[in-house]
Amino acid sequence: MDNNSVRRALLLAVTAVASVAFASDEGVDTPEHVTGEQPYPFDSADPREEDTPAIELPDSVTQKLELLTAEEVEFLKSGDARAFAGSAEDTVEALDERTPEEVKAWVNAMQHVIEHNHYEEGRDAPNIPLNTESPDFNAWRMQRPRAMDPEREPGPVPLGRYDGYGGPPTFGGHPLALSKEDLVAGEVDVAILGAPLNMGSGWRDSGERATADLRLLGWPMGGSDQYVQIDASEVLNIVDYGDVAVDNNSTERSMRHIREIVREIASTGAIPMIVGGDHSLEYPNVAGLADVYGKEKVSVIHFDSHYDAWWGGNHLIGHGYPVYRLINEGHVRAADYIQVGLRSGGPGKSGFKWMREQGMRYHNMAEVEARGWDAVLDRVVAEASEEGRKLHISFDIDVLDPAFTVATGTPVPGGLNMREAIRIVRRLCAESNVVGFDLVELHPALDPTYKTTLNSAHIIKACLTGVAMNREGMTEKHYLSPLSSEHAIDDHYGDQQEYLDATRAEEEKEEAEE
Amino acid sequence: MSTRCILARCGLVTLASAFLLTPYESALAQWSIPDELGAQASVLNDEQLEFITSGAALKFIPEQQLEHELATRDAGSLQALVNALMSVSDEMGYDPQRDMGATPLNTASKRFNRHTLPTPAPLRELEREPGPFSVHRYLYPQSGVPTFAGAKVAIWPEDLIAGKVDVAIIGVPSNASSGRRDAGNGPSAMRATNTIAIPDAQSLIRPHEVLSVADYGDFSVDWLATELAVGHVTDMVAETAETGAIPMLVGGDTSMLYPGVKGVAQARGNGTFGLLHLNAHPDAERFGDHTVSDRQSMFLLLDEGIVDGSDTVQVGLRGPAVNVETLQWLRDKKVRYHTMAEIQQRGFDTVLKRVLREVEKGPDAFFVSIDVSVIDPTEMVAAGRIAPNGLRIEEVTQAIRHVCAAKDIVGFEITDMAPMMDISRLSVVNANAVLNACLVGIAVRKAGLKPDYIHPLVLDHGQ
Repeated sequence: MDNNSVRRALLLAVTAVASVAFASDEGVDTPEHVTGEQPYPFDSADPREEDTPAIELPDSVTQKLELLTAEEVEFLKSGDARAFAGSAEDTVEALDERTPEEVKAWVNAMQHVIEHNHYEEGRDAPNIPLNTESPDFNAWRMQRPRAMDPEREPGPVPLGRYDGYGGPPTFGGHPLALSKEDLVAGEVDVAILGAPLNMGSGWRDSGERATADLRLLGWPMGGSDQYVQIDASEVLNIVDYGDVAVDNNSTERSMRHIREIVREIASTGAIPMIVGGDHSLEYPNVAGLADVYGKEKVSVIHFDSHYDAWWGGNHLIGHGYPVYRLINEGHVRAADYIQVGLRSGGPGKSGFKWMREQGMRYHNMAEVEARGWDAVLDRVVAEASEEGRKLHISFDIDVLDPAFTVATGTPVPGGLNMREAIRIVRRLCAESNVVGFDLVELHPALDPTYKTTLNSAHIIKACLTGVAMNREGMTEKHYLSPLSSEHAIDDHYGDQQEYLDATRAEEEKEEAEE
Repeated sequence: MSTRCILARCGLVTLASAFLLTPYESALAQWSIPDELGAQASVLNDEQLEFITSGAALKFIPEQQLEHELATRDAGSLQALVNALMSVSDEMGYDPQRDMGATPLNTASKRFNRHTLPTPAPLRELEREPGPFSVHRYLYPQSGVPTFAGAKVAIWPEDLIAGKVDVAIIGVPSNASSGRRDAGNGPSAMRATNTIAIPDAQSLIRPHEVLSVADYGDFSVDWLATELAVGHVTDMVAETAETGAIPMLVGGDTSMLYPGVKGVAQARGNGTFGLLHLNAHPDAERFGDHTVSDRQSMFLLLDEGIVDGSDTVQVGLRGPAVNVETLQWLRDKKVRYHTMAEIQQRGFDTVLKRVLREVEKGPDAFFVSIDVSVIDPTEMVAAGRIAPNGLRIEEVTQAIRHVCAAKDIVGFEITDMAPMMDISRLSVVNANAVLNACLVGIAVRKAGLKPDYIHPLVLDHGQ
């Protein structure tokens, strides 16, 4: 208990300092916030799209090219034409099959496709106009003024009648907080925020179904952990921070507001724990942390079956792009990215080559297949716990095998099992310096058994337990309770002799006293 | 390309002009402070009083609650409340210095328009004679690649023309319902559980013998922005209609009703056909912050004059957007709307007769559309924007079959069936039944029979 109160006093001091230090950051717009009809303020070309080399054509096909202009011949030889005409051999073969007239139509069709696919000023809109005439333009993100409700002291509000129980469902049954004042007054350590973004490319119907179901079935999010004999709810002040508003017709438009709310949480020193919602969320979550802790000061560990560093499409955000966009905007150094569990079809060689060049540390299921989970686990935790790292954990539940999380937008078989996942998340949250966490891509409608939602809640619990261990100083490598991990009636594994001797000495001493 | 304006912008211009005609602010009702609360209100300054009496506060707080707050709050607390509401009101509209007015796109992308370009003929891998072709190995196909109605596949307009296709069934797999989402899987699910175009047990017509039906594939949509799907789908529907085939569209969410009907109008002319729309939701949202969405689809069609309100019949309204302002707006537009309240009051048969008479008096040509939310959840649990107390499936099929047989059908669309929401797949079967009702109706008409024709062998065993 003494220990606890010292810790709390310390925490209070830290929180107070933190909120003073970061208060000035609020309201300061970072340049990447697009207002009006401004374009995206960063370079948006994909550097990984390498130009295909041009080819030479043999003299034997000259007659076939007779109707082409010089420019068209150059195009046919260029890298751009390779996507249609293939290698030099394929091209010659295709030319042989065609009359000069057909060759001309063929080349013009390729040019048409290339020309059509590029953005062209005047022909294509560079953006998607919103209806700025709408008198309700910002209705989707307007917060309810506190003054509309009866006055109350700031701080987390237990919603139930019976010692906090018996009210509307909250994440883990934790009290509700709705503002920064509530977080500060409640000395909150962890704020769980729902983010019902529903724009993933796979199955949809995440949205409010995900955040509502995690509240209905989220009782494991807190409470006692048998493995390490700690109760996160007793060690930490945990709150349900409500849901953040999203525009489910535009991921791009939702980003800034989510980032502001994440920043609001982090600026108090609390850990934002975001549950949702499609994986686009990783972008505003980490950007919000970078707003508070500084650019390139936060590392990210990305659990996912997908690498999510896609880029180069017409959109600038989607659930396949957050990693690339965070790096592109300088919130995170690529070298501070660790990825675990990748196994989807892509990326191909160029994607992995790029990741290596950038210094990203990827741990694919191929590595797990080669080395075994225990070896990979130790390697990942060691990397994530390197001195000085502040860590955000982004946990896409599709890193788990669909046997455990069938209700996810883009499931991929061959993933982690719950035992592996709980262990790595608990260890990371205990052994490294976690400043943020998100759990994403829960689509409850796909699972009438609710198993996926329950498993998701247990992943969150593993992190809450880990954070509690960290705060209690239980940061040694792979700590487990000696009491719950061994009955110690005998010395079966050969490592209990010390305990048995001590117990015997104790017993003898008691007998002697009697 | 140059003759067309960028569609999202066209929509915007039209929306803006709509606001000029009916300024939203003028819709605010002035609010007079009740006499007995005059003393309490006197603590407010002029600006605060003006805000309260303009009625602007009632947008955020119900009248009864406002009266309660006036009666019970002390001066400081009351001023704080009014100031808070005023700042909400100030921030509600668009500010170009603060808000994103247009979401930027990646103009450096080499795939900026990739999803809107059908492969040009010289780049197609296989040469074949134009015309719909079978994807089945057997003469009497039992299974294999699933198609709508088990029909032959057509890919290009020349296939439709060569095959003299009467009906082209097309998927439009958008997935942006404002309710529960999975309508993007609607077309595949309806193909995979095909019950369309089977011999009809009422007329004993075999639709495939009367009509040339083709599965015309899916039209490409942008899954991250409905705005970007509208232009391409409109063009493709128009191109289909220009071949003479009737486009039967399978959504997708109901935002695609807008390009569906607009595309047919592009081929045939605005205001040249009527619209029968079965939906629990009026979808006449006038002040949306986006330029298109399911909730705005009817508004856009009426506002842009693509269909005339007086040629539009809506049936089954009951959703949360049915309110005084919306019904009044529909009424002003001369829309023939029929709410579930009317159906409960008068009985379905009476209302159906009224609907059919209105359709009969309308233009010769009709577009028939249904958002599956109109059907009761017991028979359509997969409706994205599910709404209890709806129509029974046989009521819906009866109405649709009749209209599709009685009128010159220029298009059909079924939207917002989200198959994931129904593990029994009953909703898919019923969605197919709705499409089938129109298909059979079209076949009955083409066979020269009366709309509700019943074969004598079916009506009586004659013993």
